[in-house]
Amino acid sequence: MQWIDLLRLPLAALAQQKMRTCLTTLGVVFGAFVLAASLSINEGVQQTIERESSKGNIARKVTVSPRWRGNDNKTKDDVKVAGRMSPDRRERIRKILAERSRQGGSGQEHIALTRDRLDTLSRIPHVAQMVPIVGGAVVATLGNRPEEASVSSGAGEDPGFCKRIVAGRAFDSEDERSILLSEMFAHRIGLVDDVDLDQVIGKPLRVEIRRQVNGPSFNVSLVDRAKAGGGKDEDSALRQLAWQIPGALDRLSLTDEEIAALRKAIRQESTQSDPALVVDDFRVIGVFRELTDDEKKEAWSQFPAHTDLVLPRQTAVDLALRDPVWREDGIVQTVLFVDDMRNVKEVVDKVEALGLGTRSIVEMIERERLTYLLIFGGMTCVAGIALLVSALGIANTMLMSVLERRREIGIMKAVGATNWHLQAFFVIEGALIGLTGGSLGLLLAWSVSFPGDAWVHSMVHKDMKIYLSGSIFAFPNWIAATVLLFTVGATILAALYPARRAAMVDPVSALRHD
Amino acid sequence: MAIRAVEVRKVYGAKGAQVEALRGISIEVAEGERVALLGKSGSGKSTLLNLLGGLDRPSSGQLSVGGRDLDQLSMREMARFRSTTVGMIFQSFNLIASRTAVENVELPMVFAGRSRRDRLAAARQALEAVGLGARLNHRSHEMSGGESQRVAVARALVNRPRVVLADEPTGNLDSHTARHVMDLILDHVREHAATLVLVTHDEELAATCTDRVVRLVDGQIIDGV
Ligand SMILES: Nc1ncnc2c1ncn2[C@@H]1O[C@H](COP(=O)(O)OP(=O)(O)OP(=O)(O)O)[C@@H](O)[C@H]1O
Ligand SMILES: [Mg+2]
Repeated sequence: MQWIDLLRLPLAALAQQKMRTCLTTLGVVFGAFVLAASLSINEGVQQTIERESSKGNIARKVTVSPRWRGNDNKTKDDVKVAGRMSPDRRERIRKILAERSRQGGSGQEHIALTRDRLDTLSRIPHVAQMVPIVGGAVVATLGNRPEEASVSSGAGEDPGFCKRIVAGRAFDSEDERSILLSEMFAHRIGLVDDVDLDQVIGKPLRVEIRRQVNGPSFNVSLVDRAKAGGGKDEDSALRQLAWQIPGALDRLSLTDEEIAALRKAIRQESTQSDPALVVDDFRVIGVFRELTDDEKKEAWSQFPAHTDLVLPRQTAVDLALRDPVWREDGIVQTVLFVDDMRNVKEVVDKVEALGLGTRSIVEMIERERLTYLLIFGGMTCVAGIALLVSALGIANTMLMSVLERRREIGIMKAVGATNWHLQAFFVIEGALIGLTGGSLGLLLAWSVSFPGDAWVHSMVHKDMKIYLSGSIFAFPNWIAATVLLFTVGATILAALYPARRAAMVDPVSALRHD
Repeated sequence: MAIRAVEVRKVYGAKGAQVEALRGISIEVAEGERVALLGKSGSGKSTLLNLLGGLDRPSSGQLSVGGRDLDQLSMREMARFRSTTVGMIFQSFNLIASRTAVENVELPMVFAGRSRRDRLAAARQALEAVGLGARLNHRSHEMSGGESQRVAVARALVNRPRVVLADEPTGNLDSHTARHVMDLILDHVREHAATLVLVTHDEELAATCTDRVVRLVDGQIIDGV
């Protein structure tokens, strides 16, 4: 018998029962579809995560923050519970008290990001760059106009930041004594015309770190009034007024004695209650604009956003650490850039060993992995069940078809078919159903992946404000191979028993006249 | 090809409900001889024919066709024997209903491993030879009994078998058609010097078409050995 006939005869038999073939194949199509979709999403999500996290340095970034570390030396045995009570109750109370005393600060150690610790961090192997993040409220004085302002450090490492400079230039080095203004801040302090922006370049700007930025104390009642009824605008206008009053005393209709008395009072108040802890002068070298809507879609590069002033990294850290409180409490955050994504885990472990807190995309992905492993597992189970059910259906219909075709099988044997031939016919019938169903299922999954992908993209954008690039469905060749392997395997297994039955048909009784 | 059976027995059924269809049949048919098997219904004629055609194996005794002991043949060789050495014709035609005439005739050649082109040509020729050149692509339910049996004859003879076994080939046909079908079989036998074993109830047919008549009663030969 020729090989091509081993294919031709089963095909003819399948064509004979078109409806039945279609229905059995449909079951396989469904199973293959779910399996293909599940494998494809699993692969696609992994690829997407890798793709998204390798955008920029995000995957190599470890954010380090200070942390309170519990003092474990203090065990509950040190806690004594007085009173006559049952041992059980004493034990319960002692346990709670011990826990409280552990949490209650005295037993805890603050692991701060001090200068020493920053040095230690920067010397950890595989740390390519350390970028300390400092920021907060300061009083900025341009000319004779003091103004509350928020200051951030940095943006030197973000190449996209240069695009946001609208006047002057960006920083050349991490420690130059320069400062950048935001367009909005400039507008707020009265630099409204375009020429004003050009003229402010090169001007000195004084930055003061104070404990409280309440402004001169004589305006307490004004502030209270604002708090009681006025809005935000009124509040800041009143504060502005309070800041400017000392400089504008001359222009008010007051006698010289009155002016002298007020000056004295104001100076005393402000030096007593609101001393500037650190004062420094910087040169304005440029003005930057806020992020455009398009830039905001680039999810990972939103820093610095909504800040009034930007200092170079090192300059900012130096300024902050001149404040004794900062020096002791350390800075809020520092970012480590690891030389390679694969070393992130090692660096994270080293940093955690120091007692500091860490955050990294790699860790976040590790945590999310469980979620999608569960989803993937669930879908694969559904696919498995669908394949099992369709395999049972195939076994059933084939068994029926063996009974129906008993005479045909007898005739084939009478004219020279071996048992092996008949077995092969049925197994090949099964394999053909598996192959067709598997291919159609794959095709279906592939065509559904386009609208599916669009849907996921819009969902992700809506929920997380991230524009994913590329598809979350991936169809590498191995997925097609696996799906076909499983469907053909399942249908061949299903066909084995009916095929054995076909081979066992006794030609003599099958051919006996009806 | 010569046929030789020695003390052949065939028992059907399991212990307790056994039917002894053949009880020690010994017979010799020379090459090119035409033998008629006569006997009442249930006497074991079909059983003997099926054993000779290799569709079944005897419970005991020896069977050889063309000097080859059928007992010694493997399953595979037996299948080959069925497709090329013997041609069997049945009373109820036994065509595959869902296949056309050509496809039915083609079937023995498929298992004999001949190429499709070859097969189609040979099948067409065989069908033309039995006068069905115009019915090539008809299915059996689209044909009369006589036509169906002619297709069956074409199928049995297409591989040029040296042994033809016919089990009441004309049992379902009118006398005129029966004569036509018998002539087709006899022509082949004569042309290829084939051996013919013909099972029939028709004494006259047996007398006119065969060289010798063998009578079976209850699974035993009583006459014509
Ligand atoms: N598969 C079987 N199982 C049990 N008994 C069987 C089987 N096949 C045949 N027999 C029995 O064997 C005996 C011979 O049957 P066989 O078919 O050979 O008779 P026959 O001579 O061909 O009769 P007919 O002229 O009616 O065709 C019968 O009694 C029959 O009941
Ligand atoms: Mg019979």
